[in-house]
Amino acid sequence: MVSNKVVKVALIGNPNTGKTSLFNQLTGLKQKVGNYPGITVEKKQGICKLNETVKAEVTDLPGTYSINPTSLDETLVLDTLLNENNSSFPDVIVVVVEIENIKRNLLLFTQIKDLKIPTILVINMVDQMKRKGIDIDVKQLEAKLNTKIVLASARKKIGIEELKTAILEYEKLDITSIGKITNRIDKEYFTRLKNAFKEFSLYKSWLLITQNIEFDFLNENQKKLVLKYREDLDCIKRYQHKETILRYQIINEVLKDTLKVDKSKASDLRGILDRVLTHRVFGYIIFAAILLFIFQGIFSWATYPMDLIDSAFANLSSWVKTVLPKGTFTNLIAEGVIPGIGGILIFIPQIAILFTFISILEETGYMSRVVFLMDKIMRKFGMSGKSVIPLISGTACAIPAIMASRNISSWKERLITILVIPFTTCSARLPVYAILIALIIPDKRVLGFLNLQGLTMMVLYLLGFTAAILSAILLHNVLEIKSKSLFVIEMPNYKIPSIKNIFHEVVEKTKAFIFGAGKIILAISIILWFLASNGPSKFKNAEQFITSKEEVKDLSKVAIQKKIASYKLEHSYIGYMGKSIEPVIEPMGYDWKIGIALISSFAAREVFVGALATIYNVDSDENVGTIKERMAAEVNPETGKKRFDFPTGISLMLFYAFAMQCVGTLAIVKRETNSWKWPILQLVGMGLLAYISAVIAFNIFS
Amino acid sequence: MQDILVYIALGLAIGFLVKKYFFKSKKKRKCDSDCGC
Amino acid sequence: MFKTIANLRIGEKAFIEKLCLDNIPLKLLEMGCLPGIEVELIQKAPMHDPLYIKVNGSHIAIRRETAEKITIVY
Repeated sequence: MVSNKVVKVALIGNPNTGKTSLFNQLTGLKQKVGNYPGITVEKKQGICKLNETVKAEVTDLPGTYSINPTSLDETLVLDTLLNENNSSFPDVIVVVVEIENIKRNLLLFTQIKDLKIPTILVINMVDQMKRKGIDIDVKQLEAKLNTKIVLASARKKIGIEELKTAILEYEKLDITSIGKITNRIDKEYFTRLKNAFKEFSLYKSWLLITQNIEFDFLNENQKKLVLKYREDLDCIKRYQHKETILRYQIINEVLKDTLKVDKSKASDLRGILDRVLTHRVFGYIIFAAILLFIFQGIFSWATYPMDLIDSAFANLSSWVKTVLPKGTFTNLIAEGVIPGIGGILIFIPQIAILFTFISILEETGYMSRVVFLMDKIMRKFGMSGKSVIPLISGTACAIPAIMASRNISSWKERLITILVIPFTTCSARLPVYAILIALIIPDKRVLGFLNLQGLTMMVLYLLGFTAAILSAILLHNVLEIKSKSLFVIEMPNYKIPSIKNIFHEVVEKTKAFIFGAGKIILAISIILWFLASNGPSKFKNAEQFITSKEEVKDLSKVAIQKKIASYKLEHSYIGYMGKSIEPVIEPMGYDWKIGIALISSFAAREVFVGALATIYNVDSDENVGTIKERMAAEVNPETGKKRFDFPTGISLMLFYAFAMQCVGTLAIVKRETNSWKWPILQLVGMGLLAYISAVIAFNIFS
Repeated sequence: MQDILVYIALGLAIGFLVKKYFFKSKKKRKCDSDCGC
Repeated sequence: MFKTIANLRIGEKAFIEKLCLDNIPLKLLEMGCLPGIEVELIQKAPMHDPLYIKVNGSHIAIRRETAEKITIVY
């Protein structure tokens, strides 16, 4: 019988050490990203085959500079390594360092070693060693650090097999710590500590009392002891400082004889590039140019695949109707589920392209420079330089964008970022803008070369950003949240992006959108379809009612069918809902039919167009041109004028620009902020802004 | 028959949404100040 | 009048003298900002904030308010 042993491995290291590349090399496509229970941080795990009978379950822990956490991510790391009941508690820890920053990287290593868990040190990026003039005496280093060292290059696939072997033989590893640090800080204090927590290793006990966290896995007595020790804050602070200084002293000692750097060999690519990319003038110009290029790219490259997906699903819908037996369930599939799923998938091209660009910029190391350039400005708006990436991501979809704000260490800055991201013009708003612009903005050129329609689109984008910035400023001044955290960002060396990493990253972010928004959109689509296809008695008797009326006797069959359909819609559940909100939306220039489309938009903004198509009885496989014509022909019965005229059009654009209509986003905000308070604030605040501006616009232009 | 399927689908959709929004997560870590700093 | 990292000019090097325990977070030390270590200013963003420095082999950027709390000697 083949025994299938599983070794639990925890992968840890500083950010920018190529840990992710290593993880990808070890686990390939056998990765899954889930959630730690109750918290928003994602758990990245994968399986790696070590040999015929043994597998490794590798957990890629969030990158961190020290075991002392300063963010939710890093708290995760601590729990995984201290809590033996944690399902990911490792049998062996692999610490990844890279040759250029080995001194700082080793701080984490010395801390991990003190936990008395078998530890392997991987020195990554060794293919760069010659180029940078770095030479390491591995044997001596292994002896001084009491550990097994594997030289690797995740990119060039060097050292992977050696690492697997080392993991297999983890039980042979030496778990004594390096240097008697605690003795050199305060022997008496630490001896007392050791006796207080006999069950744990000394360093573990020290970590338990130095963090501001309640550890659930401790029993009542232990918790009380921890609290008692935490009373002497001053002492703890002093000793932590001393500990860090001593660790670096040890590291310097160790590296003195084992690491040799020939400075003349190293090329200063980073220095040269940084002089230009962080230049006080050129830096910004280059950044603006890159942004422009990205947005151009998204628009030109996403259109083709989006059209493909659109027609594919339209065809699928009609095909299903011919293939499946007639009936309500078939209709649900063809008119509710398939358009619902199509409506989700159609955004994948846009989202994937944007995240590919962002991922490339991050992989090269350029993003840190962007954060550096933008931090001061962003702080004026109550946010951080690290908010730039989430804000840009919001132009694809707010959901992965909000998740990307997790690396902002100040809670206030992070909260404000999360709250204003939905103002950025996400992909779902574009179909709405597109059709409204086509309806009310003339296709003319201004100043000889600027297309008026394109210009309007740009203005709407700017409107979104401006709203985000202004509300950020407002929140910054109004919210009373104390935030005293340190802003530090590493400026990594420039690297050629790894396609594998980018691929994994984009797939993850796209999945976040699909599953974050997708399931909700699908569920709501089903419900909305039901509400539109059913109604009380008047609905059920529609056919009878219409055909019995005098005036239809002379109409063609097609015309009668259309009358029945529109009567049915008016008296369906959703029709009644539309009618009931009519008095509220009338000041914005809308009628109950638009009201239905607005309600439907709560599934997803772009459902607006599809809903109108249904309402005006256009078949789903006809193109936008037909919808547009039909909308252009619609007349307001009271005034005799066009329904979708300029005032109503502008009002709708403003409403969609500002209103919080995305249920998926609300769900994510609730999860990331751990409270209902904030999503409700968004819903109400943005709703009010949308309403007021739509009403004002409608009245100004009428 | 078809109607039954529709109602099942509807029930699942509503159930899913209710569960997502009203299911209380076990660990309530209130992030009112910087986490663990 | 003591000088801090915030006073450095681009390309200038100095040694960290002291970090005040009370208002310097542990993380800064962990990133390599230790007393006696050499620090070099690589770039300043407009309005001298943030500051891009090289310290203990690490290339990092910190805000001005943090840099002002780290005194230096030449």
